[in-house]
Amino acid sequence: MSPRARIALLVLAGLVLLPGTGAVIAGLPPFGSTIAQYGERINAITPQVRHVANMVSAINFDLRGLDTLGEEFMLLAAITGTVVLLRGRRGEGNTERAMRRPGRAVIPRSDTVVLVCRIAGPLTALFGLYVVLHATVTPGGGFQGGVILASATLLIYLGEGYAGWRDTVRSHWLDAMEGGGALLFTLCGLAPMLTGAAFMQNVLPLGTFRDVFSGGLMLVENLGVALAVTGGFTQLFLEFMEETRAADEPDEPGEESA
Amino acid sequence: MTLILPLLFLLTAVSGTAVVLVRDPARQIFAIAVNGLVLAILFDALQAPDVALSELAVGAAAVPLLFLVALMAVRTRPPEEKS
Amino acid sequence: MSMLPYAVAAWLFGIGLYGIATSRNFIHLVGCLGVCQSATYVLLLGLGYRWGSIAPIFYDHPPGTPAVDPVMQALVLTDIVVGATLTALLLVLTIQAYKRGGSLDPEKLRPMRAGGKSGRDPGPSRVSDAERSVS
Repeated sequence: MSPRARIALLVLAGLVLLPGTGAVIAGLPPFGSTIAQYGERINAITPQVRHVANMVSAINFDLRGLDTLGEEFMLLAAITGTVVLLRGRRGEGNTERAMRRPGRAVIPRSDTVVLVCRIAGPLTALFGLYVVLHATVTPGGGFQGGVILASATLLIYLGEGYAGWRDTVRSHWLDAMEGGGALLFTLCGLAPMLTGAAFMQNVLPLGTFRDVFSGGLMLVENLGVALAVTGGFTQLFLEFMEETRAADEPDEPGEESA
Repeated sequence: MTLILPLLFLLTAVSGTAVVLVRDPARQIFAIAVNGLVLAILFDALQAPDVALSELAVGAAAVPLLFLVALMAVRTRPPEEKS
Repeated sequence: MSMLPYAVAAWLFGIGLYGIATSRNFIHLVGCLGVCQSATYVLLLGLGYRWGSIAPIFYDHPPGTPAVDPVMQALVLTDIVVGATLTALLLVLTIQAYKRGGSLDPEKLRPMRAGGKSGRDPGPSRVSDAERSVS
């Protein structure tokens, strides 16, 4: 299809859909006037029955925990697909050592960058841990904290260079974290069934409201998500970075099997 | 607050448009990062600190980095035509 | 003001679609897809907002204070993180398409054939293939 015909088709589709969109927008409740009844009820009831302060975490890990389990496996599947696509061509054997392009000049890092990264890296990791652990009381949780923790490992790359980063961050550990996190989440769903409760029913003691150790099973699930997200995102960064390094190899023969 | 929210919504529309209209991928990465930052501010103003934190970590840091590295990976290939 | 968030969401989705339809570079196209994605975030959070409400975190405020809709926030929160990994997957597919076809332009993407030689060599066959895929 020529680009011109495509634009024409897009404009036509837009014109057809425009009245419907307008009608839907006009039918929605005016912005800021009211919220859905379901959310209202959750806000009213959950602090008492689950002893947690953060409603978003309560929904993610308890009330709609099954949905999050699905999301968790979507995450796992997407990262597995990425890693298979990237690593499949290179081969498993190459993943352990840092590759280097001979043609690329190694630029020495200034002392300032190294110093700042050595200070900021642990601080970022600490903040990520804080965000993970306080999922049930303040804004945060495994999803956000995991990404922050993964970003913290990038500061190692910035400060210590690529080889140093690869020495610190082991690919196999990341695989284990990613899969283990998903496994932990699944086990959190299955373990209550051993006691006769429903899937993912919150059987652990709920703890005190506004305390870090509140929410019972939510804390374990949160930990599982944090492990999976940290491992998964670090794995993504690592495999992407490796892709820029492998360029010098004569990769044509291996390409056919990818 | 009644004035900040509409302005932020308009800013979101502008930054989203910028992501589309900046055609050069190397420049688009900056537009993506700015868009992530604007979205994070908007979400915070919409009383969603959880989402803002997530968008800040993902949209303003992780995703632009992935784009950057993908662009690097494409550019370090032997250029057949244009990268 | 009462309809502005929804209009912004519709605009973002539309402009993202326009970018996807006219993009000449796969990496740019993935970025445009991200704009479409952000439209859903704006729509959901706009639906969940209520004037004068607090965030749905009852740490500083006692439970019972009017708060915004936490369900929408939970939806958006997980989607942002999972969506980022899907973006990564799309970028990897882009890299693979570049390696196989030698181009990032969707117009020049050739159909994949089983057992076919990956089209590294720029030659007349590629040009004819490109023209065939365009038509």
